[in-house]
Amino acid sequence: MPRRDPDAVRAPKFSARDRLAFLLALVPWLMDHERVTVDEAAAHFDVDADLVRESVELIAVSGVPGDTSSYQHGDLFDIAWDAFEDRGEIVLTNLVAIDDAPRFSAREAAALIAGLQYLSSLPETADSAAIATLMGKLSRGASGPVAPVGVAGEATDGRLATIRDAVSRGVQLELDYLNSRGEHERRRVDPLRIDSNDTDWYLRGWCHLRQAVRTFRLDRMSDVVVTDRPIEHRVDEVALPDKLFEGATTELVVTLDVASAAVPLLDDYIPDGAPRSTHGDLVRLELPISHLDVLKRLVAGMPGVATVVGPPEARAAVEAWAQAALERYSVD
Amino acid sequence: MSASRTAPRVAVEERLFSLVLALLATEGGLSKSEILSTVQGYRQRFDKGGDNANLERQFERDKDDIRDLGVPLETVESPGDAGNNQLLRYRIRKGAYELPADVRFSAEETSMLNLAAMVWREGALSGESRRALLKLRGLGGAQAQQPVLGYAPRLRSRDAAFAAIDAALEKHLTVRFRYLKPGQTEASERHVIPLALVQYQGRWHLSAEEPETGRRKMFLLRRIVGAVTTGRPAPQRDGDFAAQALASLAEVWEAGIAELEVVAGSDADRRLGSRAGAERHGVVSTDGGSSNAGESLRLRLHFVDLAILADELAAFGPEVVVLEPAALRSAVRERLTLIGAAHAPA
Repeated sequence: MPRRDPDAVRAPKFSARDRLAFLLALVPWLMDHERVTVDEAAAHFDVDADLVRESVELIAVSGVPGDTSSYQHGDLFDIAWDAFEDRGEIVLTNLVAIDDAPRFSAREAAALIAGLQYLSSLPETADSAAIATLMGKLSRGASGPVAPVGVAGEATDGRLATIRDAVSRGVQLELDYLNSRGEHERRRVDPLRIDSNDTDWYLRGWCHLRQAVRTFRLDRMSDVVVTDRPIEHRVDEVALPDKLFEGATTELVVTLDVASAAVPLLDDYIPDGAPRSTHGDLVRLELPISHLDVLKRLVAGMPGVATVVGPPEARAAVEAWAQAALERYSVD
Repeated sequence: MSASRTAPRVAVEERLFSLVLALLATEGGLSKSEILSTVQGYRQRFDKGGDNANLERQFERDKDDIRDLGVPLETVESPGDAGNNQLLRYRIRKGAYELPADVRFSAEETSMLNLAAMVWREGALSGESRRALLKLRGLGGAQAQQPVLGYAPRLRSRDAAFAAIDAALEKHLTVRFRYLKPGQTEASERHVIPLALVQYQGRWHLSAEEPETGRRKMFLLRRIVGAVTTGRPAPQRDGDFAAQALASLAEVWEAGIAELEVVAGSDADRRLGSRAGAERHGVVSTDGGSSNAGESLRLRLHFVDLAILADELAAFGPEVVVLEPAALRSAVRERLTLIGAAHAPA
């Protein structure tokens, strides 16, 4: 069974600019690899074989106007057509204009550098000197001054290294988890993948207690222990839902009015295609929710921009949560 | 215009690719009319002796597209005819186009870069990271082409203003937008020179200079209301503005201190206590009257923005009480009051 690449699932359609970038990257790579198949190239670049085939066909008829300004045969790339058509092999037989790989654009370099800054809390990037060297190379490899985009790296969370260790060794984890209902439970988990959104880090894993895929916040875990037991479910055998919090078994659907600017804050909870309608500056959403305790925390963290319309028990849960909190300020 | 109507269609990427090849191959550069009349994708639409205004505009857009991809397309003035736009020549110098020979990446570096690109898989820089990965893979032999297994990290740039400001930074243009400060009901008009976009504790900030006063200002992207428009070319400013902006935010964070009381073992205890720089002061006696509070802990947190912290604390409901500063205490109370009122029975 082919390994599921989380990136490939949502691979966007290639634009003309993407295709040009691919052409400029592909030519020098083909020069370095005298004989490769379309499938090998597709696997190496992680793109469709069709894109490789179309690109090679385009390269084969492209070139420079040349002395005659009329694209004579010697002014064009050429390939071994028989090998290409019969066996899907790519062999460049004439080269023009391009000698080497292109630089990164300033924004491409900026995106990679900011990405590295963000990842500076991972165990893999603990060698900060190596990362600084890498950033230096990206700057030198850019076609212009790198755009000033920066990300503050978070301090290393010890739990991350422990979980990472278990993921790479393919063994189960045991951890104490505090769920959103305030209950502590000892969980046994097959760790599958570490996800993050900005400053929030999550473990996605198979929970042996619930017998299902679950998402765990790192900052709700404690006493994380790596066991010797091999995992029973592998990441390529379990379908991880795209949305972090989707797929929880739920009977509860609540209706929310959310200021349109704040809707993205609920992205991880809104299934694709969930009913929504716009009323002026408000968006009315139907949100499946695993428990009212999840809802009350979510809505209380969006004061003034999210209101529960119904059902009544959901409104009551949010109100009770706010009132209980206000009581603690009653001495003011 | 009959020429363009009957011309066979040449795909956009073929025209762009041919333009790059033609300009890489020329030493002295090509003039615009040479390009339009000879390069594949233009020549089919070129009207000799006619009006090629559409084609010229196409060329202008193509130049921008190519430059956006990191291809250093240069203009060269003809000697003796400086300033004459018709005689400008265009070329791509190989030395400026090609990745320097010493910029190559080890297998380990390649897998880190794969991961760094994955971070941007959605949002304003997703195209850039996708193209950077294609270029990276073109370099190579390295075996570790797959992202470091087991991670799916993500940086978000879902503030609507991000793409517009990022583009203005790239093109060195001033920006104009309306900004709503917390506590104000009316957004005010701002006109600034953008210096850097930085994410600090999960939120994107714009560091900018006010052209009138020369003062450095920090804006939270989520408080920008409506569209960002670009204005005049911004005066050149030199410095590592991203690092400076992050350092100044870290200073604000260091100085911002909140004293909280959290219910021991609660979600607030665990999650707020997990934050960078959080300090627990041990168990304190619970203040009188709060029956639902069990054992309580004192927690000291650093923060950058009081209004944002107040939103976050409100989410924890009765699990947390703000002791200091008073402004944060009243901000949280206001939020709780608002939420309670919005959800009271009709």
